[in-house]
Amino acid sequence: METPTKFNLFEYYKLFSQQDIQISYKGPIDERILSVIGNYIEVILGKNPKASKKIFSIFIELAQNVSFYSAEFNELTDGKEIGVGTLVVGEFGNYYTFVTGNVVRNEDIIPVIEKCEIINSLDRDQLREYKRNQRRLPPGVKGGGNIGLIQVALTSCNPLDFEVTPINENYSFFSIAAKVDKE
Amino acid sequence: MKDIYIQGSRDVYIVPTVKFLAKQGSCEISGESFLEETIKFYQPLFEWLREFTAEIRKPITFNVKLTYFNTSTSKCILTLLGILKKFEDDGGEVTVNWFYDEDDEDMKDDIEDYVVDSGMKINLIPLD
Repeated sequence: METPTKFNLFEYYKLFSQQDIQISYKGPIDERILSVIGNYIEVILGKNPKASKKIFSIFIELAQNVSFYSAEFNELTDGKEIGVGTLVVGEFGNYYTFVTGNVVRNEDIIPVIEKCEIINSLDRDQLREYKRNQRRLPPGVKGGGNIGLIQVALTSCNPLDFEVTPINENYSFFSIAAKVDKE
Repeated sequence: MKDIYIQGSRDVYIVPTVKFLAKQGSCEISGESFLEETIKFYQPLFEWLREFTAEIRKPITFNVKLTYFNTSTSKCILTLLGILKKFEDDGGEVTVNWFYDEDDEDMKDDIEDYVVDSGMKINLIPLD
């Protein structure tokens, strides 16, 4: 039997096998996915409890951002519209990485990039001060703390590695990776 | 004044265990905190503390034993500390103890940031 559109899963598999990808997921991201993958992070990285805890904390903040802010939605059978995105947990020589990617409206991307750039320009003490100042502000529209990305940078102890790939005049693909060094 | 007791659970979300005891003037939050509607969960705790510090006004001990909390929870903890600080400034007697894993540098930073932010003295107590 031939599938109407050829989708070569082996290419995808090869790409992910070149690097040590522990978990990859693409699809709607809601609390059920957060729960399953969140628990699985502890199972897979449990041999390194410190790093596992950090990746879990980073995963919760970044994956929630995708679920809240992705410009691509899937409507589930229960009628809920859920943000779609990609989540990857990878293990490399001396570090773990957690990456999210999602489609964003071009007009929404500038504040996110500006925030990432501010974060990357600060040292740890400045970053903590920035977090304290932002935490005092009223909650964001999604009830968030305004401090998710700052916390990710603090937990990761590495700069945020972010990239924007234009798709067309309305949308871009935004990806952000946070590294956690192994002990 | 009624006590608050919430048994923590870990299903889709992670609910912390909460014990707020009026007669003993003892409050404790333990476990992990990652909730669907963080403010909705913490609102009754704010109200309880406001009532206690306005009407009961007995010495109060606030014990935090959280091992993980997300950033939305982090704002609510600051609000709780703010209510205690106001009580202390009004002459109330407050003890804040934060139990933490000594290996957890991130948690240590978080507690230090709460000291700066809230102006409260927080006793750091290593967990066994």
